[in-house]
Amino acid sequence: MTTGTTTAPTAPSAAPPQHRNRKRTNRLPLILIVPALVLLVAALGYPIGWQVVTSFREYGLLQQFGAPAPFVGLDNYVALVTDPYTWTVVVRSIVFCVVTAVVTVAIGGAMAVLMNALTTWPRVVLQVALLLAWAMPVVAAMTVWIWIVDWRRGLLNWSLVRLGVDGAEGHNWLAEPLSFFVVASVIIVWMSVPFVALSIYAGLTQVSTEVLEAAELDGATGIQRLRHIIVPIIAPVLSIVMLLQLIWDLRVFTQIKLLQDAGGVTNETNLLGTYVYQLGTGKGDFGTASAVSILILVLTIALSGYYVRSLMKEDV
Amino acid sequence: MHRSRAKSTLLTALALVLAVVWAFPVYWMLNSAFLPNVVLQSATPTFLPFGGSLDNLRAVATDPAFGQALTISLIVTITTVVAAIMIAFLGALAISRFRFRGRGSFVLALLLIQMLPAEGLFIAQYKMMSSLGLLNQAIGLAVLYTAAVVPFTIWMLRGFVAGVPADLEEAAMVDGLSRTRAFLKITFPLLAPGLVASAVYAFLQAWNEFTVALVIMTEEQSRTLPLWLRGFVQASASRETDWGQVMAASTLVAVPVIIFFLVVQGRMSSGLVGGAVKG
Amino acid sequence: MIRRLPIVALTSAALVLTACANGGDSSDAPAATSSTSNAGKTITLWLAGGDTPDELRTYLSDTFKAKTGATLKIEEQAWPDLVTKLTTSLPDAENTPDVVELGNTQSPTFTNVGAFLDISDQYDALGGSKLLQSFVDAGSVDGKKYALPYYFGSRYLFMRNDVWKEAGVNTPTTLDEFNAAVTKVAQGNPRHIKNFSGFFIGGQDWRNGISWIFANGGDLAKKENGQWVSTLSDPSSLKGLQQLQLIQKAASNAPADAKDQTPWLYINDADVITDADGKATGKTSLAAATIMAPGWAHWSIGDAAKKDGKVVREWNPEKFGTFVLPGNDGKPAPVFAGGSNIAISATSKNPELSKELMKIIFSEEYQKKLGGAGLGPANSDYVSSLGDDEFAKALIDSASNSKLTPAAPGWAAVEASMVLEEFFGKIEGATDLAALAKAYDAKITPMLNGK
Repeated sequence: MTTGTTTAPTAPSAAPPQHRNRKRTNRLPLILIVPALVLLVAALGYPIGWQVVTSFREYGLLQQFGAPAPFVGLDNYVALVTDPYTWTVVVRSIVFCVVTAVVTVAIGGAMAVLMNALTTWPRVVLQVALLLAWAMPVVAAMTVWIWIVDWRRGLLNWSLVRLGVDGAEGHNWLAEPLSFFVVASVIIVWMSVPFVALSIYAGLTQVSTEVLEAAELDGATGIQRLRHIIVPIIAPVLSIVMLLQLIWDLRVFTQIKLLQDAGGVTNETNLLGTYVYQLGTGKGDFGTASAVSILILVLTIALSGYYVRSLMKEDV
Repeated sequence: MHRSRAKSTLLTALALVLAVVWAFPVYWMLNSAFLPNVVLQSATPTFLPFGGSLDNLRAVATDPAFGQALTISLIVTITTVVAAIMIAFLGALAISRFRFRGRGSFVLALLLIQMLPAEGLFIAQYKMMSSLGLLNQAIGLAVLYTAAVVPFTIWMLRGFVAGVPADLEEAAMVDGLSRTRAFLKITFPLLAPGLVASAVYAFLQAWNEFTVALVIMTEEQSRTLPLWLRGFVQASASRETDWGQVMAASTLVAVPVIIFFLVVQGRMSSGLVGGAVKG
Repeated sequence: MIRRLPIVALTSAALVLTACANGGDSSDAPAATSSTSNAGKTITLWLAGGDTPDELRTYLSDTFKAKTGATLKIEEQAWPDLVTKLTTSLPDAENTPDVVELGNTQSPTFTNVGAFLDISDQYDALGGSKLLQSFVDAGSVDGKKYALPYYFGSRYLFMRNDVWKEAGVNTPTTLDEFNAAVTKVAQGNPRHIKNFSGFFIGGQDWRNGISWIFANGGDLAKKENGQWVSTLSDPSSLKGLQQLQLIQKAASNAPADAKDQTPWLYINDADVITDADGKATGKTSLAAATIMAPGWAHWSIGDAAKKDGKVVREWNPEKFGTFVLPGNDGKPAPVFAGGSNIAISATSKNPELSKELMKIIFSEEYQKKLGGAGLGPANSDYVSSLGDDEFAKALIDSASNSKLTPAAPGWAAVEASMVLEEFFGKIEGATDLAALAKAYDAKITPMLNGK
């Protein structure tokens, strides 16, 4: 009945029942996507094209100021790929991104389920808290977090010392790369969970309570209801959110850069985002920076290929 | 009955703990906004702003540049949100309710665009805006932001549209409603939470974006709020960074977002949702 | 005919004299000094950070308007974003700022890519050889001048007089004495503070650390046969690095990843405002007896006090003192010179008006104002305008022998790649300094000559 349709939202529900509608419906979707197409081509066409082309050229500050930019074919890419540092950064970024994204979606999903089970007032309080966290400007948020982990004046050390952990006094959480990344991950999870939780919660509200009640009456436990009714409905939202977290966490920049400014050894804590920045804005080597950007694109496709394919398959 | 009340209390407690943890940095930002800079540098944290003052907030709010930056940010952001939601909604409808040639490629292109990091694009974006004479124009920045936000918003809305089975519309049409009315009465309210989430996301992206704004809005009077905020985080020959003022400024930057959410949330409560499903 | 000659001569002489009185630049296009034709024009000056006080900015705008009839628009750019904005805006003739301030370490890079207008013709009029030559070199290519010094800063030492006295150590007069003295203070630790530093220098703090390289006759890089080479492993540089290593080990308890940010936090005393009896009412944040910092840090050093309802730091000469890092040769040790250069954009549409602005900036009046604001004027004639309080003296002394980073075209890339931070951070734990230095020379040399 309803379970049949709710578990297969991608069933060919779009097939028009009557013949005479077919011709009209074929043009309608194209018209619907025209605004998006026009906008994207106009605003992104040139920049993306420029970046692709520049990745095949030698383009530094000299070229920015008028010198000709010779085509060097794959030279930029070859230089990148043969540099062991690039691979260090890539591996670090992948590990960091996967761990952070998974933790984010897990916590966010759990929070969404929690919010769904709460009565109104506690839920609103939690939502407001999440919203406040999400609305906080990144600079302010990072300032607070950097202060929290500060080795001298930080709240974390101060609290730990008061709890009896003497070794925590003056402990520098950013000095060692591993510790640095744990801190970075915690911060980014904190920043990303609100969006994930609120999105998944929005998806959860689409789950019919009647169906859930009926299942409960039939004897299904909470976990079973979760697995067989709830998850399939929110699956599209869940997978998109996960995909986006992967994409974003792979290229995270601002948070890492601000943490690097506060402590730690830059070249031991570079991820792809700060690496591109260092090459581009820092050194003015835009040719290589563009090549790294393309590399990030390729990596992202590779990393999320599974997701992308399953999403595409669902539709087709 | 007992079990579910205990469970309810437990869940409420958990929710409150999580709320405190998540809101702590925000609370700290507010706390710091009321404290003078010297106290903030101390080795002992001060948890409550006793003896604090409104000085920081006042100094920041009366900065004429603030009003200007606020106006620009509002124009850019609201334009972006409205345009993005409209364009993305149409696009999401198209790819989830219909099948057409090129749909696969369109969807793939949307995904690929999002995967390209934006940090390397600013040089080309500057050149483009400069040649179009759109530097320092709110509309130019809004176009760039909308384009940046639309691919993701289409994806997100697609998920929500896909989550609403077309059968509901079909059923309503069997009952005599036209397709459009069925859509407006049944499907649209169910999409409300998704539209809200997308709108808030678009708002935040545009509101807090920094790098593109930095290169496009080159003149002081066309600065957006993030650029204005940046001006506070600077030590110079005559003063060190006043973190109290930075926090006060950040608070002011965060407030409009909260207002926006409260407004939007109020209009599309889940009461609507419940009603549509049951009806 | 003969009787008319004197009249003709007089008239010509009068004409010539009037022409000269209009300024030696009357050979410039008359538009530059003609108020009416400039009335609608505006030129833009980008200042970096908040260093130039408002009073000086107003002076520039007013004087510029009075002199040329055109308007001067001053825009402030944040230091961290300056390079990004210069990179996008300078090449764009429609939107370029006309005159820009930029850091002295950034000048070689932008000068070498042709971002600036050749102002060699103005050089002598603006001050010529009286201008701080190391800064001039940073903005020159092949003897042509593009970016000139705007102001200089310097760095010197701030000390806790009371702690030094308690440790029984006198202010050192040579570099060797300094190295020994701070170690003694650290070991003495008269107040028994945990992790106390006789001299706090962050592991990654190369801007202060290079003073030891310079003081021993070494340098970061030098030009050999037209190519720049990194010289960290040169014997004289190594000598300095070895001294630095000892200091890091014995005198400084700074974290290995600390950079040169907010050093005053470690030398200030009470964290909270003193109560009515003047007693400190909180845990002390004192962690170092000495720090090295740019001159402007003195505003943030002192006892916390309330003034006009705002909390400020008041200098307390009993607790705090300054001295210049001494060299071993009787002169101050060469330290890293802070400061900015100023240049005209090559794509500017108002080069003549921009040159007028330069004249105002390098005028005696403005140079003295810079000095009065604590910013070292570019023209050595006016350095005395810095005043004669202890900060001015320390600034002038330490700047007299200061050095810049190498004027290599790729220097900005070296700084951006954070290799120096990385290298300095490894010094304390290095067992073979020479090998480490050689390894980093190999990394840095290829970057120096630009692409």
